[in-house]
Amino acid sequence: MDLPSGTRNYNYAEDMAIFRTKTHWFLLFALLVILFTAPLWFGNYWLSIANLIGITIIAVTGLNILTGYCGQLSIGHAGFMAVGAYTSVILTTRFNLPFLVGLICAGVMAGIIGMIFGIPSLRVKGFYLAISTIAAQAIIIWVIRGWTSVTGGYTGLEASPASIGNLILKSQTSEFFLILIITIIAIFAAKNLVRTRVGRAFVAIRDNDLAAEVMGINLFRYKLTAFFIGCFFAGIAGALLAHISRLASPEYFSFTNSVLYIGMIIIGGLGTTIGPIFGVIFFQLLNVLVTKLSPALQSAFPHLPGGFTSGIAPMLFGLAIILFLIFEPRGIAHRWQLFKSAYRFWPFSY
Amino acid sequence: MAQLLQFTITGLAIGMIYSLIALGFVVVWKSSGVANLSLGQLVLLLSWFTYSMLAQAGLPFYFGLPLVIVFALLLGWIIERIILRPLIAQPILSLITVTLGLAYFIEGIVVIIWPQSQASLPRLFPMETVHIGSAVVTQEYLWAALISVVLFILLSLYFRYNRMGIAMRATADDQKAVQACGIPVTKIFSRSWMFACVLAAVGGILMSSIGGIRQGLTETGLLAFSVVILGGLDSFAGAMIAGPIIGLVETVGSGYLANFIKWPEIRTVIPFIIIIIVMCVKPYGLFGENRIERI
Repeated sequence: MDLPSGTRNYNYAEDMAIFRTKTHWFLLFALLVILFTAPLWFGNYWLSIANLIGITIIAVTGLNILTGYCGQLSIGHAGFMAVGAYTSVILTTRFNLPFLVGLICAGVMAGIIGMIFGIPSLRVKGFYLAISTIAAQAIIIWVIRGWTSVTGGYTGLEASPASIGNLILKSQTSEFFLILIITIIAIFAAKNLVRTRVGRAFVAIRDNDLAAEVMGINLFRYKLTAFFIGCFFAGIAGALLAHISRLASPEYFSFTNSVLYIGMIIIGGLGTTIGPIFGVIFFQLLNVLVTKLSPALQSAFPHLPGGFTSGIAPMLFGLAIILFLIFEPRGIAHRWQLFKSAYRFWPFSY
Repeated sequence: MAQLLQFTITGLAIGMIYSLIALGFVVVWKSSGVANLSLGQLVLLLSWFTYSMLAQAGLPFYFGLPLVIVFALLLGWIIERIILRPLIAQPILSLITVTLGLAYFIEGIVVIIWPQSQASLPRLFPMETVHIGSAVVTQEYLWAALISVVLFILLSLYFRYNRMGIAMRATADDQKAVQACGIPVTKIFSRSWMFACVLAAVGGILMSSIGGIRQGLTETGLLAFSVVILGGLDSFAGAMIAGPIIGLVETVGSGYLANFIKWPEIRTVIPFIIIIIVMCVKPYGLFGENRIERI
């Protein structure tokens, strides 16, 4: 299945290991080398895209724990990112706390707010929960816009660049490394979290929460834990986004972003660790393609209607979500799995 | 006092329109169990289509408005046939996300075809204002309330006496039993989507004749969700009663709260605050059925 044929386990540690064979270790090493030398051959534009991809992967990984593993649909994830962003920016600029402290506080704050809005999940699910998370998003953004003395209202807050100790990470390359390291930690944490007792409890709740409760899983505790962890990731991602773009603004955390995050985990593959990565990369590259191509198309075909450049992106995103749900509901991750099992048996695949 | 009366009348009338749009949600939810999160975008799309027919193509009302209704029927049929039919019996998560994708898609289409940010429909109702007691109300509000009530009565009669309407109620009750009786369930699904689109079209025309066509029309979708949450997801009467309540709280609340809370746009969050309160106090709404689950 997941392993090449002939791989045997002689003890429990081997059975649990993520990287089993020498090929695995070699591929991991090669990937890390490529990632850490990426600034050498990426231009500034692609580096900024890579930064955005990294930040989005962190947020979507959190959403995947909440929605993909625990089954609690949240359409307000961008709102929780906003909480993290503003917490970190306010702590670092007003109270002069170090960046890393602000980052952790951002995660914790977003997690706590997420838990508060997750309380309805104990009594309701499905559509009701989706609506209450939309409400959470709307209320959070409204508070940010209205509470001008603290959050700066519509104009937002200026953020200082990220720094570790005396090292100020101002250049695109240094930001890339920061985001890369945090993203790797986040993916690693998520991968391991879902293999622990907590992660298995999440999966049990997703599959049937009544059955899980009967088996002795404390729904109250685990659902709120899922909200806390999912929103913690969102808070970290939001804080990074604010510090990278030097601005915390309600514009970055709109409702459409929340919908897109849901679309990303659907397209990537719900309830897999690799899914969010595929989903985010797919969406961001589609976005790059659209922003590059649509002005050219607009000038090449003057008959296209006037709103073509601004309307084509949401149209394609919506279409991608619909098509994936109809034709490949298990997402790109499933295709990837099929591809792997096909090449393992090559040339005797069946 | 005059102000309060004014707020009450406009709030009730606007709330009637919310009820109408919310009914479209309830019809689809009851028959097929799909939560249609693209309501607001459907309202927007159909309002813009009405604008194209009446203002851009310059058709007379008696020809343009029926054309809008026909288009809405067609739209509902296409959405059900192409998008929802392949997803029958999928988990609720997929059903919710597919309508979110649809919402996004429609928003893109609307921006592509109608790039202007706002427009107003030609006048459908007479100009003169009406004096009720000490309040002065434009006629649009009264017509909106009247049309909503008439449509609600027509729908109730349809579900009470028409064969297809009875079959739709039966499907809401027990899908498998209906299928065993030889009633085509898929036909009922597509019928319910057609209803939802027509109700969204009528709601959109009424809303945009009051406030013009704006991007903000999508928020009527969110208001309709707060209506169904308050009224109960599977109750027609609930939607009809909760709509005016939401409209009343929205207008009266925002009218008076604006004096105390200086934060802008308080009107937009009131429905969400209602949603959170309902969710904590009585999660299945005023008239919703609390279904007991089995493992």
